[in-house]
Amino acid sequence: MILPVSSVNKNINFSADKSENKALEYNHDTVLKNNPVNKAKIGLDKFVNAFTVYPAKGFKGSKNANFYEFLTMGTVPYLIGSGMMMAVFNSASKHYAPFDRVMARSIGNKLSLGVLFYGIMKNLSKSFVSQPVKMLTGVDIEQPYAKVIYELPDDINDTDITSIEHHKVFESVEFPRWDLLYGDESKGEKRNYKYDKIAKRLGMGENLKDSDQEVKPRIKEIVVKANLAKNISSYLWAAAGVALAAQEPWDNFFNVMTLKFWKGKEFKKTLQSFGENFIKSAKSLWQGEGKGITKQGGKILLGLAALSSILGVLNAVTSTHTPSKTKAKDVINQNEKYVVN
Amino acid sequence: MSTNLIQNYIASKNVPAQTAPKKPMPDFNIQRELDNRTFIKPLNGKGKLVNGNIFMAPQQMISGLGYNLRALKHAASGCANDHELGKINDIGLVGGGAAIASYLATKRFTPMTKGMEFVGFGAFLASMALWPKLAIQLPAYLIHGVNVQKQYQDSFGRKKPFYQDPQFIPWDLYTDEQIQKIGDRMGVDKNMLNRRDFIQEKMRKLAVQNNTLWMMTAGFATPVMTALACDTLKPYLEKRSNNITNKKADKILQNIDKHSEKYKSQTIENKLKELIREYNGKQIDDKLTTSIYEIFTEDIDAVTSESLKKDLKKILDNDKFSINESTAKNISKNLKNMLEKKNYSTEFIEAAIPSEEEFVNLFKNSDYIKETQKVDFQKLKNIISREIDTRISNFNSAHPAAKEDAKAIRAFIFGKQSKINPLIKELTSFKSAIFDSAVTEKLINAAKIFDDFRAHKLALDEYALLKVGAAPETVIANYWNNVSGDLLKNLHITNKELEKVRFDRNLVGKLLREKIEAIASNDASYNKFMTTLVEKVASLNSQIKSSDITSDLLNSQTEKTTYEKAVDTVFDKFASSMREKGFSKTASALAGNGSDEFGTAKAIQKAYAKERLLGVKCSFYRLINALDFYRRVATDPNKFKPYNDQLPREVLEELIELCKIDTLSGHSSDQATKFYMLRNPNPERDFSPLEVENGKIKNKFYGKAKYGTTDIPGDKTFYQHAMKFMFEDDMHPDTKSILEKSILKDEISNYRKQILEKIGGQDYFWKPRHRVRPKNNTGSDIKFLLTGIAPDELIFKRGQQAFNSGKWFRIFGGFGAGLLGVTVLTQFFLGKLKPVEVKK
Repeated sequence: MILPVSSVNKNINFSADKSENKALEYNHDTVLKNNPVNKAKIGLDKFVNAFTVYPAKGFKGSKNANFYEFLTMGTVPYLIGSGMMMAVFNSASKHYAPFDRVMARSIGNKLSLGVLFYGIMKNLSKSFVSQPVKMLTGVDIEQPYAKVIYELPDDINDTDITSIEHHKVFESVEFPRWDLLYGDESKGEKRNYKYDKIAKRLGMGENLKDSDQEVKPRIKEIVVKANLAKNISSYLWAAAGVALAAQEPWDNFFNVMTLKFWKGKEFKKTLQSFGENFIKSAKSLWQGEGKGITKQGGKILLGLAALSSILGVLNAVTSTHTPSKTKAKDVINQNEKYVVN
Repeated sequence: MSTNLIQNYIASKNVPAQTAPKKPMPDFNIQRELDNRTFIKPLNGKGKLVNGNIFMAPQQMISGLGYNLRALKHAASGCANDHELGKINDIGLVGGGAAIASYLATKRFTPMTKGMEFVGFGAFLASMALWPKLAIQLPAYLIHGVNVQKQYQDSFGRKKPFYQDPQFIPWDLYTDEQIQKIGDRMGVDKNMLNRRDFIQEKMRKLAVQNNTLWMMTAGFATPVMTALACDTLKPYLEKRSNNITNKKADKILQNIDKHSEKYKSQTIENKLKELIREYNGKQIDDKLTTSIYEIFTEDIDAVTSESLKKDLKKILDNDKFSINESTAKNISKNLKNMLEKKNYSTEFIEAAIPSEEEFVNLFKNSDYIKETQKVDFQKLKNIISREIDTRISNFNSAHPAAKEDAKAIRAFIFGKQSKINPLIKELTSFKSAIFDSAVTEKLINAAKIFDDFRAHKLALDEYALLKVGAAPETVIANYWNNVSGDLLKNLHITNKELEKVRFDRNLVGKLLREKIEAIASNDASYNKFMTTLVEKVASLNSQIKSSDITSDLLNSQTEKTTYEKAVDTVFDKFASSMREKGFSKTASALAGNGSDEFGTAKAIQKAYAKERLLGVKCSFYRLINALDFYRRVATDPNKFKPYNDQLPREVLEELIELCKIDTLSGHSSDQATKFYMLRNPNPERDFSPLEVENGKIKNKFYGKAKYGTTDIPGDKTFYQHAMKFMFEDDMHPDTKSILEKSILKDEISNYRKQILEKIGGQDYFWKPRHRVRPKNNTGSDIKFLLTGIAPDELIFKRGQQAFNSGKWFRIFGGFGAGLLGVTVLTQFFLGKLKPVEVKK
C-alpha cells in the first residue's frame, strides 16, 4: 500500500537499502551538552574530518562540499602553520657550530613554546568570557548541537548520503537555532522552559506568558557582545602566552627537557622543571626587567588581556537594549523601497 | 478486470465529499489594488561583483578598515550582524599580533631587532593575504580564466567571497555574457546544451578545489613566506637603520646642549636634597659623609672618585670635635668599666676615677666644654691623668693595705691605641662640623655642576657608542658586517666549501689562502677584487669622517676633530666651574692642568673612540696589505731582496712561507712572545731563483729537509727580513695604482710604518733583540689594535654566520619554491568536468 510522503516523519531516509544504513548517532538536529567529553568528541571529529574527509571532498570538487567544511578545514593551516613555525625557528640550528647552535636553540625553543602557548591560551581564554556570561545570564554562547545533513548522491550507487556536522546554536546571530531550545512537550517538557530559565536569570521575571519572545532580543545582544569579547580577549591572552614563553627561566627547562615519556625518571624531571619554570617565568613576566616600558611591558600585556575579558563580560551582561521610540506603524517607511536578498 | 487500488483506498477511508474552498478574500479586486499601489513585490537585488586585481589588495585593506571599525562599534553595542562579527576576528588577530610584536620589542635591545619584531608581524599578515592571491588565485586565473577568489557585494554592501559557500553561489550576479566568455576561455564546447549550467558547475568545482588547496598549503606557506620576507627585507632595513643611526649621532655633536637635556635627571641634586631633609642641622658623622661620597661618585671612575672625595672632605670635615657634658660623663663611665673588668675593687674605682659630675666640673673648670681640635686632646689627657694620679695617691695614703700602682693604672688607661682608647674614642665621637646651610649650599652648587656635566658626558658617550661602540648596530659594527659579508662573496667562498671547513680555523685558513693565491695570480681578478675591497673599506671614512673621529696613528692631521673639541668643551667647562667651587683635585683628575691631560678622564674619553676606530681600520688594512704581499709573491717573488746579503733559495722559501702564514694568521701575541718557524738549520747552498705558479711558490727545498727542521732563535736577520718583505718593501704597482685613487692611500702607508715602528720595535719582538726599529714603549693595547684581527679568523667567524644564514635559506627557500611549484602545478589537475552525455 502506498503511504503519503510526509516531511514530518523524522526518520526520513533516502537510502536505497536499509541494510546499508550508516549507524548515525543522531537522526535529527540535536542539542548536545556542553561538557568536556562532548567538547573533546566534537574536537576530535572535526580534527579527523578536517584532515581526511573534507580535503578529499574538496579536492574532488564534490557537489556536497559546503561552507562548514571549508571553515572546519581552517584547523589545518592553523596546526600545520604552528608546526611549520617551530620548524622555521629550529630545524636549521642543528647544522650550526656548537656555540651558535646553543644560542639559536635558546631563542628557537622559546619561540616554539610561544607558538604552543599561543594556541593553548587562545582556546583556553575563550572560557574566560563564555563561562562568566553563562553563569550570569544563562546564555551559553558555546552550546553545541549535532546537525544531520542530507547530501546529494554522487552517483546512482551512492547510498551514503547522510552526515553529521557540529555547529553551535548561536553561531549565527541573525539566524540562531531558536527551535532547538524549545522543550519537547511529548516528553512532558514545558515548551519554553529554557527561555524561562534565561528570563529568570536575566531578571525579566518568572512565569512569563511568552518568555521566548521576551528574551530572544536580549539573547542576541548577549551573544554579539560576548562573541566580541571572546574574540578580542582571546588574541590578547594568546599574546600573553607568547610573552610568557619569551622569559629567561625557560632556558633552564630546555636544558633538562625530554619528550621521551617512556623514560619515567627523566620525564618526571621534565614535568617538574616545567612547573617550576612556569612559575618563575610568570613572575618574570609580571615583574619585568630594566626600566620604563621594558619593565612594565608584561604587566601592561597581562592587564590588557584581563581587562578585555572583564570589560567584555560586563558589557555582555549589561543590556543596552532600550525600548524603541518608533511606533509600530512607522517601522516600514512607506516612501522607501525594501529588498530582501 | 484489474483492481483499482486508488478507488479501493478512497472507498476504505470513507473520504468526505470535496467541497469548494471558501474564497479567502471575496472582495479582493486586483485592479483596485494595483490602482491604489498597495501591491508590494520584491525589487531587484542590488548585489554586484567586486572588480579588482591583486594589486588593489592594499587599497581594499584600507577601505576594509573603516568597515571593521564600524563592525567593532556595532558589536560593542550588541547589534552587529554575522558578517560584522566575522570581521571582529580580523581585528583581534591584528590587535593580538601587534601586542606580541610590541612586547617582544621591549625584550630586544637595538632599534633594528625591535623593528624586526614589527616587520615580522607585518610580513606574517602580508603572507597570509598574499599566498592565496599569488599561489592560488593568479595561477588559477592564468590557467583556467576563472577568478576563484572573486568577491561580491550583497544588497547591504557587505563584501563576501563569491564561492564562500558552494551551496549558495549568487550566480545571477554574473551576466550570461560573462559566463559564456569564461566558458570560451575554459574551452567548453560552444554548442553544448545548457552550456551556462555546465560552465557554472565547472567554475564551482574549480573554486571548491582551490579553496581546499589553499587550506592545505597555507599552513606550510605562511611561516616560510614570512621568514623569507624578513630575510629579504633585513639588508634594506639595516642600511636604512644605519643611516638613521649615523645621522642621529651627528646631530648629538651639532647641538650637545640640547641633546644632553634628556639626561638631566638631576640625580645628584635630588638625592642630595633628600639627604639634606634628613640630616639638616645635624652633625656630620661618618654615615652622612659616606652617603655624600656615594652620591657624588656614582658612575665615576676610581681615580676621579678619590680626588672628588678629597675635595668633598674639605667641605664636610673641619677637623674639630664637640666636647660636651655627656662626653665628660661617658669618659667617667668608660674608665670605671675598664677598671671593673680588671677586677679592681669598687672602693678603689670610686676613689680613683672621678664621678660623672666631677668629670663635668673638671672639664668646665679646664674650659673644655667646647669645640676643640685633636691637638688639644693631649692637654686634656694630662689634666685627667693628673687628677687620677692625685686620687690614687690619696687612696693609697688612706688605705695602705690596698695600695695600687698609679703608674700601671695610668699605662693601662692611656697606653692603648688611639682608636680603642676609651678617652680618645669618646672625644672624637662628636665631630663639630654641622650639616648646615653653609655646607649644603656648597654641595648643592657642586651637584648642579655635576649633573650638568654628567648629562653632557652621557651625550658624548652616546655619540661615541652610536659611531664606534663595541655593540650591535653601531655605525662601525654595521660597517664591519657589511665589509666582511661582501668579502666572502668576492672571495667566491661557497656554502659547500664552508660546510666542510667551518668548524676549524686552520681549515678555513687553508681555504682562504687558496682563494687569495688564486686571485693574486690573475691580473683581472686581483684588480677587481682589490678595487672592490678598497672601495668598501674606504666607505667607513665617509660614514665616520676624519674630521669627526680619527685615529692619530693613521692620520697625520693636527687639527682637533669635532669629537675632541666637544670633549674639550664639556670637560674644560666643568673643570673650570669646579675649580671655582673649590674642587680643584676633581677638576685636575677630570681635565688635567692646562695642556697636560695625560691619564685624565678627558683623555680616556677621547681615546676610547680613537682606539675603536684604529682596531677596525687596521683589521681591514692588514687584509689589504696581506693581499698585496700575495700579489707580489705571485707576480715576481725574486723581487724580495734581503737587507744586505743574498740568501739561499731554501731560506727565501722559508721566509715567504713565514710571511704568508703571518699575514693571514698572525696574532699580536705571536709577535709579542715567541714566534716559531720550523726551518732547516743547514739550508742547501742553492741560490737559484724562486719559481711561482698560480700564486704559489714552487718550493724546491721548503718542507723537504733531510734532517728535520727546528726553530733557529739565533738568526736575528730572518725575522727582520720577514718584516721588511711584509711591511717595508714597496707595494705592488697594481695595489699602488688602486690606492692612488683612494682616500686610504695615506692611512695605509701610515699603517705599514706604524707596524714597523710599534711592533718591529717591541722589546721582545718575535725573539728577544730581533727588533727592526728602535725600542719603543708602546702599550700592548696599541700593538693589539695595530695587529687587528687575523684574516683567517675574520673569515672563520663571518663564514659561520654566513653558513648559518645560507643553510637556513637553502632549507626554507627550497621548501618555499617547491611548495609554490607543487601548488601551481596542481592547477593543471583541477576543474576537470565531463560534459553530460545526451542519449539520442
